[in-house]
Amino acid sequence: MHNENNQRFWNLLSKKLANEANEVELDELKSILVSNPNLHHQADLITEMWEQRFQNGSFADEGAYMRHVMKYKDEFFAEESNQGGAPEFINEDLEDKKASFLLSLFSRESLRTNRLTIISLVTLIIGSIGAIYFLPGKKNAVAAAKQEFSSVVTKNGNRTKVVLPDGSQVWLNAGSSLDYNNSTFNKDLREVSLDGEAYFDVTRDESKPFIIHTKKMDIKVIGTTFNVRSYSDEKIAEAALIKGTIEVTLKDRDQKLVLKPNEKITVANEIPKPETKTEKITARSSPVPVPQIVVKELKPNATYNIIGEIAWTQNKLYFEDETLEHIGTLIERWFGKKVTIANESLKTVHYTGNFENETMEEVLSYLKLSKSFNFRIGTDNVVIY
Amino acid sequence: MNNFNLAICLLMDKDILAQLGERIANDDQLAYRQLFIQFYTKLSRFVMGFTKNKELTDEIVSDVFINVWRRRTKMGEIKNLKLYLYVSAKNTTFNYLKKLHRENLTDLDMVEIELEDPFADPGAAMITREMNLKLKAAINDLPPRCKLIFTLIKEDGLSYKQTAQLLSVSVSTVENQISIALKKISGAVRYTFRHN
Repeated sequence: MHNENNQRFWNLLSKKLANEANEVELDELKSILVSNPNLHHQADLITEMWEQRFQNGSFADEGAYMRHVMKYKDEFFAEESNQGGAPEFINEDLEDKKASFLLSLFSRESLRTNRLTIISLVTLIIGSIGAIYFLPGKKNAVAAAKQEFSSVVTKNGNRTKVVLPDGSQVWLNAGSSLDYNNSTFNKDLREVSLDGEAYFDVTRDESKPFIIHTKKMDIKVIGTTFNVRSYSDEKIAEAALIKGTIEVTLKDRDQKLVLKPNEKITVANEIPKPETKTEKITARSSPVPVPQIVVKELKPNATYNIIGEIAWTQNKLYFEDETLEHIGTLIERWFGKKVTIANESLKTVHYTGNFENETMEEVLSYLKLSKSFNFRIGTDNVVIY
Repeated sequence: MNNFNLAICLLMDKDILAQLGERIANDDQLAYRQLFIQFYTKLSRFVMGFTKNKELTDEIVSDVFINVWRRRTKMGEIKNLKLYLYVSAKNTTFNYLKKLHRENLTDLDMVEIELEDPFADPGAAMITREMNLKLKAAINDLPPRCKLIFTLIKEDGLSYKQTAQLLSVSVSTVENQISIALKKISGAVRYTFRHN
Protein backbone atom coordinates (compact mmCIF):
# COMPACT_ATOMS: atom_id res chain seq x y z
CA MET A 1 0.00 0.00 0.00
CA HIS A 2 1.27 3.45 -0.90
CA ASN A 3 2.06 5.82 1.85
CA GLU A 4 -0.45 8.30 0.53
CA ASN A 5 -3.13 5.65 0.58
CA ASN A 6 -2.19 4.73 4.11
CA GLN A 7 -2.62 8.32 5.17
CA ARG A 8 -6.05 8.34 3.58
CA PHE A 9 -7.00 5.18 5.46
CA TRP A 10 -6.24 6.72 8.85
CA ASN A 11 -7.96 9.89 7.84
CA LEU A 12 -11.14 8.07 6.88
CA LEU A 13 -11.09 5.78 9.89
CA SER A 14 -10.75 8.80 12.19
CA LYS A 15 -13.67 10.45 10.49
CA LYS A 16 -15.78 7.35 10.81
CA LEU A 17 -15.06 6.97 14.51
CA ALA A 18 -15.62 10.65 15.22
CA ASN A 19 -18.88 10.41 13.30
CA GLU A 20 -17.64 12.94 10.78
CA ALA A 21 -17.66 10.73 7.71
CA ASN A 22 -20.27 11.02 4.98
CA GLU A 23 -21.61 8.15 2.86
CA VAL A 24 -19.00 8.60 0.12
CA GLU A 25 -16.18 8.53 2.64
CA LEU A 26 -17.58 5.46 4.37
CA ASP A 27 -17.71 3.67 1.01
CA GLU A 28 -14.19 4.73 0.25
CA LEU A 29 -13.03 3.35 3.59
CA LYS A 30 -14.79 0.09 2.86
CA SER A 31 -13.10 -0.28 -0.49
CA ILE A 32 -9.69 0.48 1.00
CA LEU A 33 -10.30 -2.28 3.53
CA VAL A 34 -11.43 -4.68 0.83
CA SER A 35 -8.27 -4.16 -1.18
CA ASN A 36 -6.01 -4.12 1.91
CA PRO A 37 -7.06 -6.99 4.17
CA ASN A 38 -3.97 -6.38 6.28
CA LEU A 39 -5.62 -3.22 7.59
CA HIS A 40 -8.61 -5.06 9.01
CA HIS A 41 -6.98 -5.99 12.25
CA GLN A 42 -5.77 -2.46 12.89
CA ALA A 43 -9.13 -0.98 12.05
CA ASP A 44 -10.89 -3.38 14.42
CA LEU A 45 -8.45 -2.79 17.23
CA ILE A 46 -8.59 0.97 16.94
CA THR A 47 -12.39 0.87 16.74
CA GLU A 48 -12.52 -1.14 19.93
CA MET A 49 -10.06 1.20 21.60
CA TRP A 50 -12.20 4.15 20.54
CA GLU A 51 -15.30 2.70 22.09
CA GLN A 52 -13.72 2.31 25.49
CA ARG A 53 -14.12 5.20 27.83
CA PHE A 54 -11.35 6.43 30.05
CA GLN A 55 -13.82 7.79 32.47
CA ASN A 56 -16.58 5.65 33.84
CA GLY A 57 -18.58 8.20 35.80
CA SER A 58 -18.12 8.45 39.54
CA PHE A 59 -19.47 9.81 42.75
CA ALA A 60 -16.41 12.05 42.91
CA ASP A 61 -18.26 14.39 40.57
CA GLU A 62 -21.16 14.49 43.01
CA GLY A 63 -18.76 15.56 45.74
CA ALA A 64 -17.30 18.24 43.50
CA TYR A 65 -20.80 19.52 42.84
CA MET A 66 -21.50 19.77 46.54
CA ARG A 67 -18.29 21.70 47.12
CA HIS A 68 -19.19 23.99 44.25
CA VAL A 69 -22.67 24.68 45.59
CA MET A 70 -21.35 25.24 49.09
CA LYS A 71 -18.74 27.63 47.81
CA TYR A 72 -21.42 29.79 46.25
CA LYS A 73 -24.18 28.86 48.63
CA ASP A 74 -25.47 32.42 48.90
CA GLU A 75 -26.29 32.41 45.23
CA PHE A 76 -28.00 29.06 45.28
CA PHE A 77 -29.69 29.22 48.63
CA ALA A 78 -30.92 32.78 48.33
CA GLU A 79 -32.85 31.78 45.28
CA GLU A 80 -35.75 30.31 47.16
CA SER A 81 -36.51 30.08 50.82
CA ASN A 82 -39.52 28.81 52.67
CA GLN A 83 -39.43 31.96 54.73
CA GLY A 84 -41.23 33.39 51.72
CA GLY A 85 -40.64 36.54 49.76
CA ALA A 86 -39.86 36.85 46.09
CA PRO A 87 -37.01 34.67 44.91
CA GLU A 88 -34.01 36.92 44.91
CA PHE A 89 -30.86 36.63 42.92
CA ILE A 90 -27.68 38.02 44.30
CA ASN A 91 -25.64 39.29 41.40
CA GLU A 92 -22.33 40.15 42.92
CA ASP A 93 -19.83 42.20 41.09
CA LEU A 94 -17.92 39.78 38.90
CA GLU A 95 -14.57 41.49 39.24
CA ASP A 96 -14.80 41.41 43.02
CA LYS A 97 -15.59 37.74 42.83
CA LYS A 98 -12.65 37.12 40.54
CA ALA A 99 -10.33 38.88 42.96
CA SER A 100 -11.59 36.82 45.83
CA PHE A 101 -11.13 33.64 43.76
CA LEU A 102 -7.47 34.45 43.37
CA LEU A 103 -7.12 35.09 47.07
CA SER A 104 -8.96 31.93 47.92
CA LEU A 105 -6.45 29.98 45.86
CA PHE A 106 -4.00 30.52 48.64
CA SER A 107 -6.33 29.95 51.53
CA ARG A 108 -8.11 26.78 50.67
CA GLU A 109 -7.74 25.45 54.18
CA SER A 110 -10.03 28.12 55.53
CA LEU A 111 -12.50 27.32 52.80
CA ARG A 112 -12.38 23.69 53.67
CA THR A 113 -13.10 24.10 57.37
CA ASN A 114 -16.03 26.40 56.76
CA ARG A 115 -17.47 24.12 54.23
CA LEU A 116 -20.69 22.41 55.05
CA THR A 117 -20.70 18.89 53.83
CA ILE A 118 -23.80 17.51 52.32
CA ILE A 119 -24.43 14.04 53.54
CA SER A 120 -27.76 12.97 52.32
CA LEU A 121 -29.92 12.87 49.29
CA VAL A 122 -33.27 11.50 50.18
CA THR A 123 -36.45 10.93 48.34
CA LEU A 124 -39.62 10.33 50.21
CA ILE A 125 -43.07 9.57 49.06
CA ILE A 126 -45.44 9.44 51.91
CA GLY A 127 -48.99 9.38 52.96
CA SER A 128 -52.25 10.38 51.46
CA ILE A 129 -51.59 13.29 49.25
CA GLY A 130 -52.41 16.74 50.49
CA ALA A 131 -55.12 15.56 52.84
CA ILE A 132 -53.76 16.38 56.27
CA TYR A 133 -52.06 19.69 55.83
CA PHE A 134 -53.75 22.39 53.93
CA LEU A 135 -51.56 25.36 53.29
CA PRO A 136 -51.76 25.87 49.57
CA GLY A 137 -48.90 28.24 48.89
CA LYS A 138 -45.94 30.29 49.84
CA LYS A 139 -47.96 33.10 51.38
CA ASN A 140 -49.27 30.72 53.93
CA ALA A 141 -45.81 29.40 54.56
CA VAL A 142 -44.78 32.93 55.51
CA ALA A 143 -47.68 33.25 57.88
CA ALA A 144 -46.89 29.86 59.35
CA ALA A 145 -43.23 30.71 59.78
CA LYS A 146 -44.13 33.24 62.43
CA GLN A 147 -46.00 30.58 64.28
CA GLU A 148 -44.55 27.42 65.62
CA PHE A 149 -44.91 25.25 62.56
CA SER A 150 -43.65 25.74 59.07
CA SER A 151 -45.37 23.99 56.24
CA VAL A 152 -44.56 23.96 52.57
CA VAL A 153 -47.12 22.50 50.21
CA THR A 154 -47.06 21.77 46.49
CA LYS A 155 -50.15 21.18 44.43
CA ASN A 156 -50.44 18.47 41.81
CA GLY A 157 -48.49 19.45 38.72
CA ASN A 158 -46.07 21.65 40.69
CA ARG A 159 -42.68 21.08 42.21
CA THR A 160 -40.68 23.40 44.40
CA LYS A 161 -37.43 23.74 46.32
CA VAL A 162 -37.05 24.69 49.97
CA VAL A 163 -34.06 25.51 52.12
CA LEU A 164 -34.38 24.50 55.77
CA PRO A 165 -32.89 26.61 58.61
CA ASP A 166 -29.88 24.28 58.86
CA GLY A 167 -29.07 24.74 55.17
CA SER A 168 -30.47 21.37 54.08
CA GLN A 169 -32.21 21.55 50.75
CA VAL A 170 -35.45 19.84 49.90
CA TRP A 171 -37.02 19.39 46.50
CA LEU A 172 -40.72 18.72 46.93
CA ASN A 173 -42.51 16.76 44.27
CA ALA A 174 -46.09 17.45 43.23
CA GLY A 175 -48.89 17.02 45.72
CA SER A 176 -46.65 16.93 48.79
CA SER A 177 -46.22 18.76 52.05
CA LEU A 178 -43.27 19.16 54.36
CA ASP A 179 -43.66 20.32 57.97
CA TYR A 180 -41.38 21.07 60.84
CA ASN A 181 -41.46 22.81 64.17
CA ASN A 182 -39.67 26.15 64.03
CA SER A 183 -38.84 26.36 67.70
CA THR A 184 -37.35 22.89 68.04
CA PHE A 185 -35.87 22.22 64.60
CA ASN A 186 -32.09 22.32 64.80
CA LYS A 187 -32.01 22.40 68.63
CA ASP A 188 -31.12 18.81 69.51
CA LEU A 189 -32.59 17.13 66.50
CA ARG A 190 -33.65 18.10 63.04
CA GLU A 191 -37.09 16.62 62.59
CA VAL A 192 -39.43 17.00 59.65
CA SER A 193 -42.67 15.33 58.66
CA LEU A 194 -43.36 14.49 55.09
CA ASP A 195 -46.52 13.67 53.27
CA GLY A 196 -45.84 13.05 49.59
CA GLU A 197 -42.49 12.89 47.89
CA ALA A 198 -39.27 14.79 48.43
CA TYR A 199 -35.61 14.70 47.58
CA PHE A 200 -33.34 15.86 50.40
CA ASP A 201 -29.83 17.26 50.47
CA VAL A 202 -29.13 17.11 54.17
CA THR A 203 -26.35 19.21 55.68
CA ARG A 204 -24.00 17.14 57.79
CA ASP A 205 -24.24 17.65 61.54
CA GLU A 206 -23.53 14.54 63.56
CA SER A 207 -24.60 16.13 66.82
CA LYS A 208 -28.09 16.76 65.47
CA PRO A 209 -29.48 13.77 63.62
CA PHE A 210 -31.86 14.47 60.79
CA ILE A 211 -35.08 12.49 61.13
CA ILE A 212 -37.84 12.24 58.59
CA HIS A 213 -41.19 11.13 59.98
CA THR A 214 -43.52 9.32 57.63
CA LYS A 215 -46.65 7.35 58.16
CA LYS A 216 -45.03 3.95 58.35
CA MET A 217 -41.38 4.69 58.94
CA ASP A 218 -39.05 7.10 60.62
CA ILE A 219 -35.85 7.55 58.70
CA LYS A 220 -32.72 8.66 60.47
CA VAL A 221 -29.97 9.93 58.26
CA ILE A 222 -26.57 8.53 59.01
CA GLY A 223 -24.94 8.35 55.61
CA THR A 224 -25.31 9.74 52.17
CA THR A 225 -27.67 8.99 49.30
CA PHE A 226 -30.99 7.29 49.65
CA ASN A 227 -34.55 7.23 48.56
CA VAL A 228 -37.66 6.58 50.59
CA ARG A 229 -41.13 5.99 49.36
CA SER A 230 -44.28 5.42 51.35
CA TYR A 231 -47.74 5.67 49.90
CA SER A 232 -50.64 5.32 52.26
CA ASP A 233 -53.05 5.40 49.36
CA GLU A 234 -51.07 2.60 47.78
CA LYS A 235 -50.07 -0.72 49.16
CA ILE A 236 -46.42 -0.42 49.99
CA ALA A 237 -43.86 1.94 51.46
CA GLU A 238 -40.22 1.70 50.57
CA ALA A 239 -36.78 3.11 51.27
CA ALA A 240 -33.95 2.64 48.80
CA LEU A 241 -30.36 3.39 49.65
CA ILE A 242 -28.02 4.49 46.92
CA LYS A 243 -24.95 5.35 48.95
CA GLY A 244 -23.99 5.48 52.61
CA THR A 245 -26.19 4.36 55.49
CA ILE A 246 -29.70 5.04 56.73
CA GLU A 247 -31.52 3.75 59.75
CA VAL A 248 -35.16 2.93 59.30
CA THR A 249 -37.49 2.53 62.28
CA LEU A 250 -40.73 0.73 61.51
CA LYS A 251 -43.38 2.35 63.62
CA ASP A 252 -45.79 -0.58 63.91
CA ARG A 253 -43.31 -3.06 65.24
CA ASP A 254 -40.74 -0.81 66.87
CA GLN A 255 -38.06 -2.47 64.81
CA LYS A 256 -34.87 -0.82 63.56
CA LEU A 257 -33.08 -1.69 60.35
CA VAL A 258 -29.90 -0.32 58.85
CA LEU A 259 -29.77 -0.34 55.08
CA LYS A 260 -26.59 -0.97 53.13
CA PRO A 261 -25.88 0.69 49.79
CA ASN A 262 -27.94 -0.59 46.87
CA GLU A 263 -30.57 -2.08 49.11
CA LYS A 264 -34.21 -1.31 49.15
CA ILE A 265 -36.68 -2.09 51.90
CA THR A 266 -40.33 -2.55 51.09
CA VAL A 267 -42.97 -2.51 53.80
CA ALA A 268 -46.62 -3.43 53.43
CA ASN A 269 -48.60 -0.34 54.14
CA GLU A 270 -51.95 -1.85 55.09
CA ILE A 271 -53.14 -5.37 54.54
CA PRO A 272 -53.73 -5.21 50.84
CA LYS A 273 -55.40 -7.71 48.62
CA PRO A 274 -52.73 -9.88 47.03
CA GLU A 275 -52.74 -8.51 43.51
CA THR A 276 -50.90 -6.48 40.88
CA LYS A 277 -47.83 -4.69 42.13
CA THR A 278 -47.43 -6.74 45.27
CA GLU A 279 -46.51 -9.64 43.03
CA LYS A 280 -43.21 -7.97 42.40
CA ILE A 281 -42.24 -7.79 46.02
CA THR A 282 -43.21 -11.32 46.88
CA ALA A 283 -40.22 -12.73 45.09
CA ARG A 284 -38.65 -13.86 48.36
CA SER A 285 -41.62 -15.63 49.87
CA SER A 286 -44.75 -17.48 48.90
CA PRO A 287 -46.88 -15.45 46.53
CA VAL A 288 -50.12 -15.37 48.48
CA PRO A 289 -49.63 -13.31 51.65
CA VAL A 290 -48.05 -9.91 51.14
CA PRO A 291 -44.74 -9.95 52.97
CA GLN A 292 -44.58 -7.39 55.70
CA ILE A 293 -40.96 -6.49 55.08
CA VAL A 294 -38.70 -7.29 52.16
CA VAL A 295 -35.13 -6.17 51.60
CA LYS A 296 -33.83 -6.51 48.10
CA GLU A 297 -31.19 -5.24 45.76
CA LEU A 298 -31.67 -1.93 44.02
CA LYS A 299 -30.99 -1.95 40.31
CA PRO A 300 -30.99 0.85 37.78
CA ASN A 301 -33.04 0.17 34.70
CA ALA A 302 -30.61 -1.13 32.10
CA THR A 303 -32.34 0.42 29.10
CA TYR A 304 -32.73 3.93 30.44
CA ASN A 305 -29.85 3.81 32.92
CA ILE A 306 -31.91 5.49 35.59
CA ILE A 307 -32.94 4.49 39.05
CA GLY A 308 -36.71 4.56 38.99
CA GLU A 309 -37.09 5.89 42.52
CA ILE A 310 -35.26 9.14 41.85
CA ALA A 311 -36.17 9.62 38.19
CA TRP A 312 -38.52 12.45 39.10
CA THR A 313 -35.63 14.52 40.42
CA GLN A 314 -34.26 14.42 36.88
CA ASN A 315 -37.60 15.62 35.59
CA LYS A 316 -38.46 12.16 34.35
CA LEU A 317 -41.83 10.54 34.62
CA TYR A 318 -40.73 6.96 34.93
CA PHE A 319 -42.49 3.71 35.71
CA GLU A 320 -41.53 0.12 35.20
CA ASP A 321 -44.06 -2.64 34.72
CA GLU A 322 -46.72 -0.75 36.66
CA THR A 323 -50.47 -1.10 36.42
CA LEU A 324 -52.41 1.54 34.58
CA GLU A 325 -54.22 2.22 37.85
CA HIS A 326 -50.95 3.21 39.51
CA ILE A 327 -49.74 5.08 36.43
CA GLY A 328 -53.01 7.03 36.56
CA THR A 329 -52.04 8.27 40.04
CA LEU A 330 -48.55 9.20 38.84
CA ILE A 331 -49.95 11.10 35.85
CA GLU A 332 -52.44 12.83 38.10
CA ARG A 333 -49.67 14.18 40.31
CA TRP A 334 -47.31 14.90 37.44
CA PHE A 335 -49.69 16.87 35.28
CA GLY A 336 -52.14 18.02 37.94
CA LYS A 337 -55.22 16.60 36.25
CA LYS A 338 -57.66 14.17 37.84
CA VAL A 339 -57.39 10.77 36.15
CA THR A 340 -60.34 8.42 36.04
CA ILE A 341 -60.17 4.92 34.57
CA ALA A 342 -63.68 4.09 33.51
CA ASN A 343 -62.94 0.57 32.32
CA GLU A 344 -62.19 -1.78 35.24
CA SER A 345 -60.28 -4.28 33.08
CA LEU A 346 -57.78 -1.63 31.99
CA LYS A 347 -56.66 -0.96 35.56
CA THR A 348 -54.52 -4.08 35.81
CA VAL A 349 -52.78 -3.73 32.45
CA HIS A 350 -49.03 -3.21 32.93
CA TYR A 351 -46.89 -0.57 31.20
CA THR A 352 -43.30 0.64 31.29
CA GLY A 353 -42.41 4.18 30.31
CA ASN A 354 -39.83 6.92 30.55
CA PHE A 355 -40.93 10.44 29.69
CA GLU A 356 -39.22 13.73 30.04
CA ASN A 357 -40.78 16.61 28.18
CA GLU A 358 -43.83 14.97 26.72
CA THR A 359 -47.27 16.43 27.22
CA MET A 360 -49.96 14.44 28.94
CA GLU A 361 -51.54 13.66 25.59
CA GLU A 362 -48.22 12.39 24.23
CA VAL A 363 -47.65 10.19 27.28
CA LEU A 364 -51.09 8.60 26.95
CA SER A 365 -50.68 8.20 23.20
CA TYR A 366 -47.39 6.35 23.68
CA LEU A 367 -48.91 4.03 26.27
CA LYS A 368 -51.81 3.39 23.96
CA LEU A 369 -49.41 2.09 21.32
CA SER A 370 -48.41 -0.92 23.41
CA LYS A 371 -51.84 -1.94 24.69
CA SER A 372 -54.70 0.06 23.33
CA PHE A 373 -57.24 2.16 25.21
CA ASN A 374 -59.13 5.38 24.60
CA PHE A 375 -58.79 8.60 26.49
CA ARG A 376 -60.41 12.00 26.64
CA ILE A 377 -58.64 15.01 28.12
CA GLY A 378 -60.80 17.70 29.70
CA THR A 379 -59.69 21.00 31.24
CA ASP A 380 -58.89 19.51 34.62
CA ASN A 381 -59.54 15.83 34.22
CA VAL A 382 -58.80 12.84 32.00
CA VAL A 383 -60.96 9.84 31.40
CA ILE A 384 -59.40 6.59 30.22
CA TYR A 385 -61.84 4.05 28.82
CA MET B 1 -22.70 0.41 18.01
CA ASN B 2 -23.51 0.85 14.36
CA ASN B 3 -23.38 4.19 12.68
CA PHE B 4 -27.08 4.78 12.70
CA ASN B 5 -27.32 4.19 16.44
CA LEU B 6 -24.35 6.39 17.00
CA ALA B 7 -26.00 9.18 15.06
CA ILE B 8 -29.16 8.79 17.13
CA CYS B 9 -27.09 8.89 20.31
CA LEU B 10 -25.35 12.06 19.27
CA LEU B 11 -28.63 13.61 18.30
CA MET B 12 -30.13 12.72 21.65
CA ASP B 13 -27.09 14.01 23.41
CA LYS B 14 -27.56 17.35 21.69
CA ASP B 15 -31.26 17.43 22.46
CA ILE B 16 -30.74 16.54 26.09
CA LEU B 17 -28.19 19.32 26.41
CA ALA B 18 -30.54 21.83 24.79
CA GLN B 19 -33.24 20.77 27.23
CA LEU B 20 -30.85 21.10 30.14
CA GLY B 21 -30.06 24.63 28.99
CA GLU B 22 -33.72 25.53 28.89
CA ARG B 23 -34.36 24.05 32.31
CA ILE B 24 -31.40 25.90 33.79
CA ALA B 25 -32.81 29.10 32.32
CA ASN B 26 -35.90 28.33 34.40
CA ASP B 27 -33.88 28.14 37.63
CA ASP B 28 -33.88 24.35 37.67
CA GLN B 29 -31.07 23.38 40.00
CA LEU B 30 -31.43 19.69 39.26
CA ALA B 31 -30.71 20.37 35.59
CA TYR B 32 -27.76 22.49 36.64
CA ARG B 33 -26.46 19.67 38.78
CA GLN B 34 -26.84 17.25 35.89
CA LEU B 35 -24.83 19.55 33.62
CA PHE B 36 -22.15 19.94 36.26
CA ILE B 37 -21.80 16.21 36.82
CA GLN B 38 -21.77 15.48 33.12
CA PHE B 39 -18.94 17.89 32.36
CA TYR B 40 -16.98 18.34 35.57
CA THR B 41 -14.36 15.67 34.96
CA LYS B 42 -14.02 16.46 31.27
CA LEU B 43 -13.59 20.20 31.76
CA SER B 44 -11.19 19.59 34.65
CA ARG B 45 -9.02 17.39 32.46
CA PHE B 46 -9.02 20.04 29.73
CA VAL B 47 -8.19 22.91 32.10
CA MET B 48 -5.61 20.85 33.97
CA GLY B 49 -3.76 20.37 30.67
CA PHE B 50 -2.99 24.07 30.72
CA THR B 51 -2.66 24.88 34.42
CA LYS B 52 -0.98 21.64 35.59
CA ASN B 53 -2.24 22.62 39.02
CA LYS B 54 -5.12 20.84 40.73
CA GLU B 55 -6.16 23.71 43.00
CA LEU B 56 -6.17 26.25 40.20
CA THR B 57 -8.09 23.84 37.99
CA ASP B 58 -10.79 23.41 40.66
CA GLU B 59 -11.13 27.18 40.92
CA ILE B 60 -11.42 27.65 37.19
CA VAL B 61 -13.97 24.89 36.62
CA SER B 62 -16.05 26.11 39.53
CA ASP B 63 -15.82 29.59 38.03
CA VAL B 64 -17.04 28.32 34.65
CA PHE B 65 -20.06 26.68 36.24
CA ILE B 66 -20.99 29.55 38.55
CA ASN B 67 -21.03 31.78 35.49
CA VAL B 68 -23.48 29.40 33.87
CA TRP B 69 -25.72 29.85 36.92
CA ARG B 70 -25.27 33.61 37.00
CA ARG B 71 -26.14 33.88 33.33
CA ARG B 72 -28.72 31.14 33.47
CA THR B 73 -31.48 33.25 31.93
CA LYS B 74 -29.47 33.10 28.69
CA MET B 75 -28.79 29.36 28.79
CA GLY B 76 -31.89 28.44 26.83
CA GLU B 77 -30.65 30.50 23.88
CA ILE B 78 -27.20 28.99 23.62
CA LYS B 79 -27.09 26.84 20.51
CA ASN B 80 -24.29 24.60 21.61
CA LEU B 81 -23.98 24.34 25.34
CA LYS B 82 -21.10 21.88 25.17
CA LEU B 83 -18.92 24.13 23.04
CA TYR B 84 -19.95 27.06 25.22
CA LEU B 85 -18.62 25.27 28.31
CA TYR B 86 -15.30 24.42 26.69
CA VAL B 87 -14.80 27.90 25.27
CA SER B 88 -15.70 29.37 28.62
CA ALA B 89 -13.23 27.01 30.32
CA LYS B 90 -10.51 28.00 27.88
CA ASN B 91 -11.12 31.73 28.29
CA THR B 92 -11.29 31.51 32.06
CA THR B 93 -8.09 29.49 32.12
CA PHE B 94 -6.28 31.95 29.90
CA ASN B 95 -7.45 34.87 32.03
CA TYR B 96 -6.19 33.23 35.18
CA LEU B 97 -2.87 32.36 33.61
CA LYS B 98 -2.51 35.93 32.39
CA LYS B 99 -3.15 37.28 35.88
CA LEU B 100 -0.60 34.88 37.24
CA HIS B 101 1.86 35.94 34.49
CA ARG B 102 2.04 32.44 33.11
CA GLU B 103 0.85 33.14 29.58
CA ASN B 104 3.50 30.80 28.24
CA LEU B 105 1.25 27.94 29.34
CA THR B 106 -1.44 28.85 26.81
CA ASP B 107 0.68 27.42 24.00
CA LEU B 108 -1.03 24.29 22.65
CA ASP B 109 2.32 22.56 22.36
CA MET B 110 2.78 22.97 26.11
CA VAL B 111 -0.47 21.28 27.04
CA GLU B 112 -0.19 18.12 29.12
CA ILE B 113 -3.42 16.15 29.13
CA GLU B 114 -3.54 13.44 31.77
CA LEU B 115 -5.81 10.53 30.99
CA GLU B 116 -7.34 8.22 33.57
CA ASP B 117 -6.77 4.49 33.23
CA PRO B 118 -8.89 3.04 30.49
CA PHE B 119 -11.06 0.24 31.76
CA ALA B 120 -11.19 -3.01 29.84
CA ASP B 121 -14.73 -3.25 28.64
CA PRO B 122 -15.95 -6.79 29.34
CA GLY B 123 -17.49 -6.72 25.87
CA ALA B 124 -14.20 -5.91 24.21
CA ALA B 125 -13.13 -8.93 22.21
CA MET B 126 -9.62 -7.89 21.33
CA ILE B 127 -8.47 -5.66 24.14
CA THR B 128 -7.20 -7.22 27.31
CA ARG B 129 -6.36 -5.38 30.49
CA GLU B 130 -2.70 -5.66 29.61
CA MET B 131 -3.21 -4.30 26.16
CA ASN B 132 -5.14 -1.44 27.67
CA LEU B 133 -2.08 -0.32 29.55
CA LYS B 134 -0.10 -0.41 26.32
CA LEU B 135 -2.75 1.67 24.63
CA LYS B 136 -2.61 4.13 27.46
CA ALA B 137 1.16 4.36 27.18
CA ALA B 138 0.87 4.91 23.44
CA ILE B 139 -1.73 7.64 23.95
CA ASN B 140 0.42 9.27 26.62
CA ASP B 141 3.34 9.34 24.23
CA LEU B 142 1.43 11.39 21.66
CA PRO B 143 2.73 14.91 21.11
CA PRO B 144 0.86 17.44 23.32
CA ARG B 145 -1.30 19.07 20.65
CA CYS B 146 -2.11 15.72 19.07
CA LYS B 147 -3.12 14.23 22.42
CA LEU B 148 -5.28 17.23 23.26
CA ILE B 149 -7.16 16.96 19.98
CA PHE B 150 -7.51 13.19 20.33
CA THR B 151 -8.95 13.58 23.84
CA LEU B 152 -11.39 16.31 22.89
CA ILE B 153 -12.77 14.26 20.02
CA LYS B 154 -12.69 10.76 21.44
CA GLU B 155 -13.37 11.30 25.13
CA ASP B 156 -15.30 14.54 25.16
CA GLY B 157 -17.19 13.93 21.93
CA LEU B 158 -16.50 17.29 20.33
CA SER B 159 -16.82 17.46 16.55
CA TYR B 160 -13.90 18.38 14.30
CA LYS B 161 -15.40 21.80 13.78
CA GLN B 162 -15.99 22.44 17.48
CA THR B 163 -12.46 21.33 18.30
CA ALA B 164 -11.09 23.64 15.61
CA GLN B 165 -13.12 26.56 16.95
CA LEU B 166 -12.14 25.87 20.53
CA LEU B 167 -8.43 25.65 19.83
CA SER B 168 -8.38 28.33 17.10
CA VAL B 169 -6.89 25.95 14.56
CA SER B 170 -8.19 24.87 11.15
CA VAL B 171 -10.47 21.87 10.65
CA SER B 172 -7.79 20.27 8.46
CA THR B 173 -5.30 20.54 11.34
CA VAL B 174 -7.78 18.69 13.53
CA GLU B 175 -8.27 16.10 10.79
CA ASN B 176 -4.52 15.57 10.43
CA GLN B 177 -3.83 15.42 14.14
CA ILE B 178 -6.51 12.86 14.89
CA SER B 179 -5.30 10.66 12.00
CA ILE B 180 -1.75 10.90 13.27
CA ALA B 181 -2.95 9.95 16.74
CA LEU B 182 -4.73 6.81 15.55
CA LYS B 183 -1.87 5.78 13.33
CA LYS B 184 0.64 6.15 16.13
CA ILE B 185 -1.49 4.32 18.66
CA SER B 186 -2.09 1.50 16.22
CA GLY B 187 1.61 1.30 15.42
CA ALA B 188 2.57 1.09 19.08
CA VAL B 189 0.09 -1.67 19.87
CA ARG B 190 0.93 -3.60 16.75
CA TYR B 191 4.57 -3.46 17.66
CA THR B 192 4.02 -4.90 21.13
CA PHE B 193 1.64 -7.42 19.63
CA ARG B 194 4.35 -8.93 17.47
CA HIS B 195 6.66 -9.38 20.38
CA ASN B 196 4.14 -11.15 22.55
